[in-house]
Amino acid sequence: MQILIYILKRILQTIPLLIIVSLISFFIIRLSPVDPLAELRLNPSVSKETLQKETERLGLDKPIIVQYGKWAKSFIKGDLGVTSNGEKVSTKLKERIPNTLLLTTVVIFLAWVVGIPLGVLAAINWKTPFDRILTVLTSIGMAIPSFFFAVLLLIFAVKTGWFPVGGLTSSNFMEMSFLEKFLDITHHLILPVTVLFTLSLAGLQRQMRGNLLDVLDSDYVKFARAKGVSEVKVVFKHALRNAVNPLITLLGFEFAGLLSGAALTEYVFQYPGLGRLILEAVLKSDINLVMASLMMGAVMLILGNLIADILLIITDPRIREGSQA
Amino acid sequence: MKRVLYVILVLILTGLVLKACIRADVEQVVLNPKNYEQESILNYYPYIKRNVTIDGVDYLQSEAPVGKFGGTFVTSTIGEGPKTFNPFNSKDNISSQMSEIMYDGLVTTDVVTGETIPKLAKDFKVDGCEYLIHLRKGIKWSDGKPINADDVVFTWQNIIFDGYGNTSTRDSVVIDGKLPTVEKIDDYTVKFVTPKPFAPFLRMLSSPIAPKHIFEPAVNRGKAYFDGFLSTNTDPKDFVISGAFKLKEYVPAQRVVFERNPNYYVINKDDQKLPYLDKIVYMIVGDINNQVLKFEGGELDEIGLQGANVARFKEMEKHSDFTVYNLGPNTGTMYLSMNLNNRKDKNGKYYVNPKKQVWFQDKNFRQAVDYALDRENMIFNIANGLAEPLFTPETLNSIFLNKEIKGHKRDINKSKELLKKSGFYWDKAGHLIDKFGNHVEFDLYTNAGNTEREAIGVMVKQDLEDLGMKVNFKPIEFNSLVNKLMSTLDWDMVIMGFTGSPLEPNGGKNVWLSDGTLHIFNQRLETDIESKRYPFEKRIDYLYTQGALQTKFEDRKKYYDEYQSIVYEEKPLIYIYSPLIISAIRNKFKNVYPTSLGGVTHNIEEIYIEEGE
Repeated sequence: MQILIYILKRILQTIPLLIIVSLISFFIIRLSPVDPLAELRLNPSVSKETLQKETERLGLDKPIIVQYGKWAKSFIKGDLGVTSNGEKVSTKLKERIPNTLLLTTVVIFLAWVVGIPLGVLAAINWKTPFDRILTVLTSIGMAIPSFFFAVLLLIFAVKTGWFPVGGLTSSNFMEMSFLEKFLDITHHLILPVTVLFTLSLAGLQRQMRGNLLDVLDSDYVKFARAKGVSEVKVVFKHALRNAVNPLITLLGFEFAGLLSGAALTEYVFQYPGLGRLILEAVLKSDINLVMASLMMGAVMLILGNLIADILLIITDPRIREGSQA
Repeated sequence: MKRVLYVILVLILTGLVLKACIRADVEQVVLNPKNYEQESILNYYPYIKRNVTIDGVDYLQSEAPVGKFGGTFVTSTIGEGPKTFNPFNSKDNISSQMSEIMYDGLVTTDVVTGETIPKLAKDFKVDGCEYLIHLRKGIKWSDGKPINADDVVFTWQNIIFDGYGNTSTRDSVVIDGKLPTVEKIDDYTVKFVTPKPFAPFLRMLSSPIAPKHIFEPAVNRGKAYFDGFLSTNTDPKDFVISGAFKLKEYVPAQRVVFERNPNYYVINKDDQKLPYLDKIVYMIVGDINNQVLKFEGGELDEIGLQGANVARFKEMEKHSDFTVYNLGPNTGTMYLSMNLNNRKDKNGKYYVNPKKQVWFQDKNFRQAVDYALDRENMIFNIANGLAEPLFTPETLNSIFLNKEIKGHKRDINKSKELLKKSGFYWDKAGHLIDKFGNHVEFDLYTNAGNTEREAIGVMVKQDLEDLGMKVNFKPIEFNSLVNKLMSTLDWDMVIMGFTGSPLEPNGGKNVWLSDGTLHIFNQRLETDIESKRYPFEKRIDYLYTQGALQTKFEDRKKYYDEYQSIVYEEKPLIYIYSPLIISAIRNKFKNVYPTSLGGVTHNIEEIYIEEGE
């Protein structure tokens, strides 16, 4: 019951937040000097009448506040509007969401499955050569810019011919059997996943290692050791549970990142995901599309944090007790 | 000690990783376009197509060698991909290109001579204002329905003249406020009548023809519905087309796949229906670097090349499976323009500082700037030698190019002479000062992110500083620049480019008519559309209007020749250079005859694959 009221409160809090986010982003986009019709204006074969028609269609002839009102009204009704090319924003997003989800879930899954154990191992083997090597490797992983790493891998793909040069499917994808389709997508995913995986693995491993080291240094662990509890039990039963808390908050952020995608990596690999779509939309001030994606990002972030908080209430008795008091 | 060892280890490791990434660079080769031209420029296409009638069907027969059926041609397009597949709605190049594959027009352009030749039409006769078009009998849409006069009349009357979709075609055939008329004579004959003789109209007939039975229901549902008709979300099965290839699959941000139209009306020498290829695939790639990588990785069969890549590909060509073709100068124009605006905005403030107006409106000053530009140096350094200097508003491959205009080399002394003539002088430090004692200093803009224009800007700045001018070169964001050029008009000098047409100068009327929407060097806003014209603007207005009203090529050429000489003399736009179009295609494709006007795929239906050499 307590939890339900808490959730309800949190959801109510998000409403003013969303309004503020939408107002700020709408005005910033519209006040920037980006003109969605700039390309058309500089095309000698486009007539004055066409330009006029386009201006009216996009509502650019009205004051910003009226444009915002129009957008907000249809947004509340659940209508995301049309892009500057006249396509439905919702269909545009639907085309890309599965691709981005595929990439991000694979990356997050791999990073957590590999990152957490590596962090634990490094903490247990603190200051051994194993830990040192891992530290060096993860430092490199964190320091290398994603787009640069992506470009390196692309060059690798071209030189060796082992991997396709970007994209998600081959040109004859439609004629493939199910198994071939699966293999084709896997083949295309390897390089972009490698880039994003390296990046998030490094961070996650460092985080886990740090948390566990903190806990291992605490008094109750020392006490457990002094009592003669076996090392395995100390680490897995007593220390790990407490070390995992900050990671749950991190998981909330990862959830928010599910749909925002990794624009740079997607761009370099020509991956047909949301990140690339939105990057292109921002560049030509395609307001409805940009707003839809920003709102989606905001909602996902709020939702991710909420989930993380709820999980924390469940896992951590201290917080649970605190909220009941 | 241990720590030092670690540091060294890490350094070695990083060094090794980096070393692995660096390949011995291919030696940079600067190609001389002159030699290159003799080597592989192809501007001929030996196989004229002719009309033949078999069993009452008027086919178009190809004379090219008979090839094998089957196979796929994979090419690419840079950007976001098509925005619509409706040929009447397209506003961008990629969408137009995609719909042109599917929908043929009545006429097309001869890829060598630039003449208008029949395509979907069997033949045509022009007599003053009358255009009599005979259609092919017995040819079919991809769904088997006949293509006849009703489709043509419907397309022109109900879609184009009634203003559906992108109305640019309609707006450009309005003559003195009147539209041409179109009339069905019989099932296979159509007559167009223009209100006055109007030369560009014939070429406008290359606009796609729509199947009436598919488009009529959409037209009946109004303009708003039509804007979304045959969009990128439409099921490919719903397309009914007349062209060589039909949409098969569109995967957003990945590719567009076209399949062969079994009802196409072009046949080969053995009377078999073309095209040979089963599929054409357009991969949608984000940028030019990815495109090059994809070609090198073997995923693309054809690619357009620029600058440094050309030299590299030329080196690789010898031991690779592709050939590099030089298609001659491209159809874009790159220019330097000064703001000739002499008006005040609504707050009574001059758009251009009056001090600067004195310079920009002085013909000697503009010519001095022109003579100071070192085009050859720019071509050598920026375009890797793969460009030709440009001096005319018509592009170098235009059939209307005024060949009398030879251009000139850089001549700094002539520049100085011209400046002296207008009372400019130099102070002791070499700064240029005008007759009123003002230092010559102005801003030069271009759009940031376009590396070629940025590089040109730097060289223009250097060239002009040799004359003692102070140039503040400011690359700014594209949209802000367009806003400056089109609305706020507060700029001094700019480097920009336009797309041009090698066939029809009238396409440039938005630029050259003094009330045009893109009259960039002296843009008139709605409020001062009636303001005073410069004499040369008036003359160009006259020439442009007259040029469009003549129907004979020779008569038109006179008018357009004069307009080019005026532009060369008055220098409202100072043209810089035209890059060469270079393409690479895999050798397994046969019947490939790229031309300057037609590009690589103008005869896509004749191209076939010969494996294993």
